Amino acid sequence: MLVKLMRLTEHPILNFQEKRGRKITIYFEGQPIEAYEGETIVMALHAAGIRVLGYSVHKHRPRGLFCAIGKCASCLMTVNGIPNVRTCITLVEDGMKIERQKDKPKLPPTVKPPKFKEAKKVSGDIVIIGGGPAGLMAAINAADAGAKVILLDENPMLGGQLVKQTHKFFGKREQFAGVRGVKIAEILEEEVRKRENIEIFLETSAIMLLQDGDEKLVVGVRKNKELIEFRGKAVIVATGAMEKMIPFEGNDLPGVYGAGAIQTLMNTYGVKPGDRVLIVGAGNVGLILAYQLIQAGVDVKAIVEAMPKIGGYFVHAAKIRRLGVPILTRHTILRAEGKEKVERAVVAQIDEKWRSIPGTEKVFDVDVIALAVGLRPSIELLHQVGCQIKYVPELGGHVVIRDSRMETTIKGIFVAGDSAGIEEATTAMLEGKIAGIAAALEIGTASSEWFKEIEKAQKELDEFRAGPFGRKVLEGIKKVVVE
Amino acid sequence: MKSRAEVVIIGGGVIGLSIAYHLGKLGVEDVVVLEKNYIGSGSTFRCASGIRAQFTDEANIKLQKYNIERWKRLSDELEHDINFKQSGYLFLATSEEEVEVFKKNIKLQNKFGVPTRLISMDEAKEIVPPLNTEPFLAGAWNPEDGKASPFHVVYGFAKKAKEFGVEIYEYTPAVDIIVENCEIKGVKTERGMIKTETVVNAANAWAPVVNEMAGLKRDFVPIKPYKHQLVKTEPIAEGQIEPLTCPPAWNDSYVIQDGEDGGVICGTGLEKLTHLDDVQPTYDFIREVLKWATKIIPALKYVHVVRQWAGFYAKTPDKNPAIGKINYIDGFYIAAGFSGHGFMMAPGVGEAIAELIVKGKSKVPLDWDWYDPHRFERGELRSAAFQIG
Ligand SMILES: Cc1cc2nc3c(=O)[nH]c(=O)nc-3n(C[C@H](O)[C@H](O)[C@H](O)COP(=O)(O)OP(=O)(O)OC[C@H]3O[C@@H](n4cnc5c(N)ncnc54)[C@H](O)[C@@H]3O)c2cc1C
Ligand SMILES: Cc1cc2nc3c(=O)[nH]c(=O)nc-3n(C[C@H](O)[C@H](O)[C@H](O)COP(=O)(O)OP(=O)(O)OC[C@H]3O[C@@H](n4cnc5c(N)ncnc54)[C@H](O)[C@@H]3O)c2cc1C
Ligand code: FES
Repeated sequence: MLVKLMRLTEHPILNFQEKRGRKITIYFEGQPIEAYEGETIVMALHAAGIRVLGYSVHKHRPRGLFCAIGKCASCLMTVNGIPNVRTCITLVEDGMKIERQKDKPKLPPTVKPPKFKEAKKVSGDIVIIGGGPAGLMAAINAADAGAKVILLDENPMLGGQLVKQTHKFFGKREQFAGVRGVKIAEILEEEVRKRENIEIFLETSAIMLLQDGDEKLVVGVRKNKELIEFRGKAVIVATGAMEKMIPFEGNDLPGVYGAGAIQTLMNTYGVKPGDRVLIVGAGNVGLILAYQLIQAGVDVKAIVEAMPKIGGYFVHAAKIRRLGVPILTRHTILRAEGKEKVERAVVAQIDEKWRSIPGTEKVFDVDVIALAVGLRPSIELLHQVGCQIKYVPELGGHVVIRDSRMETTIKGIFVAGDSAGIEEATTAMLEGKIAGIAAALEIGTASSEWFKEIEKAQKELDEFRAGPFGRKVLEGIKKVVVE
Repeated sequence: MKSRAEVVIIGGGVIGLSIAYHLGKLGVEDVVVLEKNYIGSGSTFRCASGIRAQFTDEANIKLQKYNIERWKRLSDELEHDINFKQSGYLFLATSEEEVEVFKKNIKLQNKFGVPTRLISMDEAKEIVPPLNTEPFLAGAWNPEDGKASPFHVVYGFAKKAKEFGVEIYEYTPAVDIIVENCEIKGVKTERGMIKTETVVNAANAWAPVVNEMAGLKRDFVPIKPYKHQLVKTEPIAEGQIEPLTCPPAWNDSYVIQDGEDGGVICGTGLEKLTHLDDVQPTYDFIREVLKWATKIIPALKYVHVVRQWAGFYAKTPDKNPAIGKINYIDGFYIAAGFSGHGFMMAPGVGEAIAELIVKGKSKVPLDWDWYDPHRFERGELRSAAFQIG
C-alpha cells in the first residue's frame, strides 16, 4: 500500500470521516491503493500522492489534473483497459485497474464485437442538462409549473460548483444569503428529489443536442457506456463554465490547477491539494480559495494579481490580509518550475504595458499553483445545435443570443446560469427559475399565472445586478439579449 | 483584384487548385481562382483522404494508375509535405460470390499494371491487426493505394500556384459569366468584373449553377448533391488501421486511420439527396456508421468519437465525372461531378485540363471520350464507376 498522504481528517466546516464511503482497493500500474466508494479516481490517486496522471503523446510531458469537472481532458487515463477515460468524473470501483498513458492507445487485437442494441429511450416535457444551481432551480420551477422534467448531470453528484463552496453567500435572504454553498446545494437537491415529476440521471454526459421532428433529442452516455436518448419538447442548457488557462512557461506541469479543481479536491472529497500554494488572480474566487486553503491547513504563500487593484469584495481581501497572506498587485506569474511536477513558481512585477520588469522576480517554493483567472461559458452543445453565438468578453467569452426569458435563437432551447454568461450562483438560480417557468409556459403545462413569477425573478435579477459588480455584466447582457 | 485574366477558374477545391497549379507550371500568366468561401471548404476538406486505383473499368483504372505515380512525387514537386502514404486499400468479401467478383476485378486491374491481389484473412490480419476476420472470406489488397492530407494538398497546390503568379480570391463568388456569340467575355464576381476568354467550371456540386451562368441548361451536366457523412475518433497509435478497410457488402462501410493524427475516420453508405446548403450531420448516421465500424474493428468500441461532419458527393448519373471542353461555348471547360472520388484524381485531372487549355491535347492517360461532358445530353451513360461510402 502506498502511504496515505493527503487525506483531510480535520476541517472546521466539513466532516469527511463521516462522508467517506466503504473502503476499497484500486490498482495504479499494478500497485494497490486505498480508495473510498463515492470518490472519483483522480481523488483517490491524489490522496495517495500521485500527481502525474499521464504523459502528452508528442513530447511526453507529464500531465495532471486541471479542471476536475470533466471539461479539459487533462486527466485521461486507461481504466480497465479502456483508454482516454476522464478520471476526474469517473467513480472508483473495487479492483479497478488504472494506468497512465504515454502514447496514443493501441487497440487489443481480439475483442468480441459489441452487441448493437437499441438505445435506452427516456421521454419527458423538459430536458435539463446540468444540475448546478441553474439547472436545479430550473427543474424545481418547471416541475411546479406542471412539466415532467428530466435532469442530467455528468458528475456523480448534483449541485454543480456549489458542492465545493464552504463559504457563506452574500445577497438577500430569499437568495440564501448567509448560507454556505454546500448547504444550498443540499437544500436544492432535497427539493428536487421531493418532486415526483423530476427524473434524475447522474454520471450521464449529454454529448449531442438535436432537433428531432417536433421534439428535441439529447443524446446522453451514462457511466462511459450506456447510450440514452432523452426526448422532450424543450431543453434547458445549464452546463456551467470551464476555467480559463493563461500562458506562462511550465503551465502544463502537474500542480498547476484550476481554482475549482482545488476546491473539488479539498471541499468535496477531503483531499489536500498540496502543502504550499501560490494563487494567481485576486478576484472573489481567488480570495475565497485562499481562505478555504488556510482552513484546510494549507500554506498560502501569496496571491498575485495583474491588475493594479484587487477585483474581489473588500471583506474577503481584508480577511486574507489579516491572515498574513500577501496580495501582490501588478504582478504576474512568469513560470512554473519543477521536474515532474510544480516545485517552484517565479513571479514578477509588470509595467503598464503588461511587460515584466527585470529585477523584480520573486521565487516561491510551492507545490501547487492555483489559477483563478476567470471562467468561460460551456456553450458546446448550444453551438453544435446551431444557436446563434456572439463573443462578449464581459460575459466570459462566446455566449448565445437569447431573450429576457432565456430562450435562445432556436425555439424551445433555453439557457441559464454560467453557460449563459459568467456570473454567480445567485444569478444562476434566478436565471434557472426564469428558464424553467418560460419553458413550461411555452410547452403549455403552465398557466398564465406563472408569468408573474418570471417578472418577480427578473426584478430580483435587476436588483442584484444593480450593485457595482453588476455593471460589467449588464454591459454584456445588453449585447446578447434580444426580444 | 485583377480586371483581366488569361484563365478564370471557378471553384477553389482540390480540382480547381490543381488546375491552377498546372497552368502556372506551364507558364500561363494571369490565372485567377475564384472561391466563394475559403479554399477547400466545399467537399475537399470533408473527404476521407483515400486514393486508390482499385476501380472496375479501364478508364478509371488507367487514370488512377497514373495518378498514383503523380501522388508519389507530389510532395517533392510542391515542396510541401502532403503526407502521402501508400498504406493500401483492403476490400473484404463476405461471400463466395463476392470473392468471384473480386477475382474478376483484380484480373482487370492487373491487366493495366495495378498490382492488386487476393489475400487470405491471415494476411489481412497482419495488415490490419485489430481486424475482425471471422465474417470475411478473403481480401482484395492493393498496397499501392493510399491516402494524403486534404489540408496539406490544398495548401501545397495553392502555395505553389501563387509562386507561379496565380491569384486566388477567397470569399469571392462568381455570379455571372458573360458570353457573346458563343464566346466568353468575362466573369462577374461579387467584387467586380474580370475580363477573360477562358473559364473552367471546377465548382463540383455547384457546377450546374455555374453552367447556368454561362447560359447552359442546369442539367446539361446533371450533377446532384448527395449528403455523405463521416465520423472521426480520438487519435490511436499509428499502424493499426492504416489502409482504407472496406467490406462493400456491408453497406460500403469503411474505416481508415487519418494519416496525420491517427484518429479513425469511419464512413458508411448512408446517402441522401439534398440541397446545396445542407451539410448538417445527423444522429441516424452516427448510429449506423458505428454499428458497422465496430463490426469491422470490434476494439473501436473502446474509442471515443470526437468529430462528425457532412459534405457532398457531387454525383452524375453514371458516377463518373464530366471532364473536358464544352463545345457550345468557346473557352469553356469543366471538371466536375466527381461522385465521391475527386480528391484522388486531382493531380492528373489538373494536369490534363491545363494541357488541354494550353496545348489542345494532353499526355495524361485520361480517356476524354469516357468523361465527355456531352455524354448526358446524348443519353449515353458509362458503366458506373465504383463508389464506396
Ligand atoms: C471559488 C468560487 C467561489 C464562488 N463564490 C460564489 C458566491 O459567493 N456567490 C455566488 O453567487 N456565486 C459564487 N460562485 C459562482 C457560482 O458557483 C457559479 O456561478 C454557479 O455555480 C453557476 O451555476 P450553474 O448552474 O450555471 O453551473 P455549474 O454550477 O457549473 O453547474 C453546471 C453543471 O452542469 C454539468 N454539466 C456540464 N456539461 C454537461 C454535459 N455535457 N452533460 C451533463 N452535465 C453537464 C456539470 O457537471 C455541472 O454539475 C463561485 C464560484 C467559484 C468557482
Ligand atoms: C464524406 C466524403 C468522403 C469522401 N471521401 C473521398 C475519398 O476518400 N477519396 C476521394 O478521392 N474523394 C472523396 N470524396 C470526394 C471528394 O471530396 C471530392 O470529389 C473532391 O473534393 C472534389 O473536389 P472539387 O475541387 O471538385 O470540389 P470542391 O472541393 O467541392 O470545390 C468546389 C468549390 O467551388 C466553390 N464554388 C461553388 N460555387 C462557386 C461560385 N459561384 N463562385 C466561386 N466558387 C464557387 C465551392 O465553394 C467549393 O469550394 C469524399 C467526399 C465526401 C463528402
Ligand atoms: S477533464 Fe478531468 S481534469 Fe479536466
